Amino acid sequence: MRGRAIGARSSLQVDMPLLLGIVAIATLGVVNLYSATSVYIDAGKRSGLADIYVSQVYWIVVGSLLAIAAAVIDYRHFERLAYVLYVGGIASLGLVFVLGADIRGSSRWIQLGSFTFQPSEFMKVLTVLVVAKVLHDDPKTEPRTLLDLAPIFALTALPVALVMAQPDLGTSLVIMLTVGSVLGMTKVRRQSLLWLGGFAVTVPPLFWKYLMKDYQKARITSFLEPDDDKTGAGWHAFQSKTAIGNGGLSGEGFMQGTQNQFGFLPDQHSDFPFAVFLEDWGFVGGVVLLALYCFLCIWAVHVASQSKDRFGAAVAVGIGAMIFWHTVFNVGMAMNILPVVGITLPLFSYGGSSAVAMLVGLGLLMNVSMRR
Amino acid sequence: MRSLDTPRGRWIRLRMGVVCGLLAFGLGIIVSSGWQLMGREGEQWRELAEKQRQRRLHVTPKRGTIYDRNGSALAVSVEAPSVSLDAVELLRGVSPQKVPVVARDAANRIAAALQLSPAEVERKILAKRRFAWLKRRITAAEAEAIRKLSSKKEAGEERVRGLVVEGEGKRYYPRRELSGPLLGFVAPDGEGKDGFELSMNRELKGHVEQLRGLRDRSGRLLFADGVQDEQVLAGHNLHLSIDQGIQYAAERELAHAARTFEAAGGSVIVVDPYTGELLAMASWPGYNPNDYGDSEPEERRTRGLTDAFEPGSTLKIFTVAAGLAAGAIEPTQKLFCEKGLMAVDNVTIRDTHPAGWLSISQVLAVSSNICSAKIGLSMGGNKLYESLLRFGFGQQTGVPLPGEASGTLRPRGRPWVQVETASASFGQGISTTNLQLAMATAAIANGGELMEPILVRKVTTATGEVVREAAPRVRRRVVSKRVAATLAEMLVAVTEGEGTGTEAALDGYQVAGKTATAQKTDPATGRYSLDRYVASFLGFVPAKKPVVAIAVMVDEPMVEIAGGAVAAPIFRNVARMALKYKGLTPQGTQRVDIASLANAPDPANAAYEVIRQQQGKKPPVQVVSASGPVGAGSVRLPDMTGWPVREAVRRSVELGVTPKVVGTGLLARQEPGPGGVVRKGASVVLVFEPAT
Repeated sequence: MRGRAIGARSSLQVDMPLLLGIVAIATLGVVNLYSATSVYIDAGKRSGLADIYVSQVYWIVVGSLLAIAAAVIDYRHFERLAYVLYVGGIASLGLVFVLGADIRGSSRWIQLGSFTFQPSEFMKVLTVLVVAKVLHDDPKTEPRTLLDLAPIFALTALPVALVMAQPDLGTSLVIMLTVGSVLGMTKVRRQSLLWLGGFAVTVPPLFWKYLMKDYQKARITSFLEPDDDKTGAGWHAFQSKTAIGNGGLSGEGFMQGTQNQFGFLPDQHSDFPFAVFLEDWGFVGGVVLLALYCFLCIWAVHVASQSKDRFGAAVAVGIGAMIFWHTVFNVGMAMNILPVVGITLPLFSYGGSSAVAMLVGLGLLMNVSMRR
Repeated sequence: MRSLDTPRGRWIRLRMGVVCGLLAFGLGIIVSSGWQLMGREGEQWRELAEKQRQRRLHVTPKRGTIYDRNGSALAVSVEAPSVSLDAVELLRGVSPQKVPVVARDAANRIAAALQLSPAEVERKILAKRRFAWLKRRITAAEAEAIRKLSSKKEAGEERVRGLVVEGEGKRYYPRRELSGPLLGFVAPDGEGKDGFELSMNRELKGHVEQLRGLRDRSGRLLFADGVQDEQVLAGHNLHLSIDQGIQYAAERELAHAARTFEAAGGSVIVVDPYTGELLAMASWPGYNPNDYGDSEPEERRTRGLTDAFEPGSTLKIFTVAAGLAAGAIEPTQKLFCEKGLMAVDNVTIRDTHPAGWLSISQVLAVSSNICSAKIGLSMGGNKLYESLLRFGFGQQTGVPLPGEASGTLRPRGRPWVQVETASASFGQGISTTNLQLAMATAAIANGGELMEPILVRKVTTATGEVVREAAPRVRRRVVSKRVAATLAEMLVAVTEGEGTGTEAALDGYQVAGKTATAQKTDPATGRYSLDRYVASFLGFVPAKKPVVAIAVMVDEPMVEIAGGAVAAPIFRNVARMALKYKGLTPQGTQRVDIASLANAPDPANAAYEVIRQQQGKKPPVQVVSASGPVGAGSVRLPDMTGWPVREAVRRSVELGVTPKVVGTGLLARQEPGPGGVVRKGASVVLVFEPAT
């Protein structure tokens, strides 16, 4: 297995199903973004929203170039550099607090010239890399103890804490769940599992009490009691549900979703592109889109099961888990079965950092897939 | 890791199975809740979405215009902006703890911009309704202040969201007092009050109820179902039969007489006898519907139809007509008038001019109560009652105006006894409205057919399509042509020679008419008052082929009480004006070009000019200056010819010039002339002459 030289490209085969899946989702995403903002294009109003589908295309091009780089360079280079990349990511997260641009009560962005850059999006991928690296360097097969897992917890806790301090609850949740999913692939001692379970029960209430901001609490309470305040904090979720329900079985048709077109649906380009898609294409369209995301996740697990080393397997599972949790949270909040926590729908939501980070992650998956 | 056959491989397979199971479980939840939302509950959500979009329109459609018969606008709606509040939008994204603070702050700023009470605005914000009026009909300055408050550019993050400024119709009556009581006014809520604005409110207002429109979240109207053109929503236009020029003359003459004789009220109605169209319907006192707030309900009545009164002698026309039609009397017959005293049961009937034998024509000319009573008595109470009923008395005419009185023929609800028949014959003990009298007179004038009164000639949509059009309609034939013609001849005698109505005579025309000076009942005693009268005149001209029938009624004149002295001159002046206006001229005089009159800036004044000319009075010295720009601090004088003193003085003061009044009556000359440009503060000489 290890005999093959690094960079032996001649035998590399592009993973066509994966590539087609990504292209399909990205294309639908841009088209959907056009529908989500078309009313502003027509009206010439809020020009800030009118041309975001164009910039999304730019970001996808940039992301694709980086993804090609991430796919072509043998992932074992990334394995060696994992800690370096991780430290770089942590440093940029730290910079947010120094240079951060404050948007809607939280600073998640770094201003780079005319661009803003959201390090937390990339940190998800980098955390996956570093966790894979730790697992790779500790190839024991017997069940792991809490002590064994301690470095992983430490390496995860640092970015989670930094992201939460921004504050960005959703992203830190996704990082934790992604790492948790990767750990799901390793054996853990039963006793340790119990301990972990204990933590899982006790930490969130403490969290609620000491660390969470009012607006975050309001989103969760309004999720728990949705009828309480349809015009206040629960308004987003309520409008999203209305738009989805309005779509019905077959949808209102492309760019015909009235709730979106008439501006009732808020944050339609960032938080609720799924609602836009469902209103336009209906239940049938939604099932097709979910099937595409499912395919990506299953394919990632499939790639992991065939990868030639532990690092590749962990990265593939990590990327798959990241896409899975993003999709579950975004779709869940659009349907109001999960609280609105501001997690993007991969390649559907508008956002340069998000799109680029997703594509880089998928590039790594491709990388592992090509070298299994 | 490729081999999955080892125990470890099986372990991994199991793990994969668990992961895929969890994945499938999550997916299952998502898909099932999606199905729940879109399939099972889909209908409810779609209805909800529909409701959000199809909120009721709050924009009132443009109210229809009211035109006179020549297409001159009497009531128009102009856009005046109103500001409303979407409180939900204002408070969107504000955390519940901060709501009171934000609401207080926004309320203070809005209240300052609109000069409202902050507490009231705050209450509206905290009610969290999606729509609430803040202030209707705001000024341009207020609209600008609101725009600044809500503009992102000017107020930045401090801006107040949810403020909506939209146009709303404000009613404007360009002719001011002209036919004020007839038109009515519109309250700020867009509902018409009084007059046509009330009775035709539904049609004028437009179709706000049936309309569903699509609005986006910011409340902008996007489009409406099945409505391509906003004009379709607009109210219908009314085209009245009223002729602005004749109406103006009637109001002016009535007001002049009412002031001269210190009357309490009055009414003049001008009817085209062949079509039943009402050409004028003047009431005094009137009011300016633009400032309806300053008016009293008293001034807003259309007295011609809301006020029933004892007609007195004018009713003798219809008694004689009934007698002739029934064959109770012959046109050539002579009646003995008992030398001024006749007893009926225990009541004595008197004549002001005691007489012996009189022809029927003379009975009308000297207005003998005794002979009229004899005619009535010879017919019998029931027959007279039925005849008067056929003339339209005792029932509403059905014109589309609010508050019409029906009058009473049998106030005690039972057939007349002898005395009642006798007094009804000369118009006592029964009551009629002036409109009923006008229509009945028109029936005599047109050869015996009672016409249906027409006030609204045409209703059109905003785009000009005719909704409905009134056509002349004969209610019934009341007397034969022969009787009507005979009666017309007899009535001419009233205005000639020894008649009571000579003041109504017009040079060059034969006028048929009848005066009345009726005592009013004193409400305190139930007996006839000694000092309160109704002076009236009914007539038509020319007697042979009448163009107009006119009913004049002056309530409680003080200085002079006789119908011949108070009401007849009003008839004469209005008739002369109407004839001129209708393009008729006495023989030997020049015909007036009506087209040029109608196109004049003020047709009524222009017509007066012509009359003055033909009366041989001074030709108008009023040389209208050429139009041109008026410098700052200067004003251009309007043509005030024919205006009463009050109005001319008021207008002068409005313009900022000092009026110097010479004489009384109506304005004959002004110095500088019409169109002249003077500096503000300069004096203007206004020369008045008594009305002819």
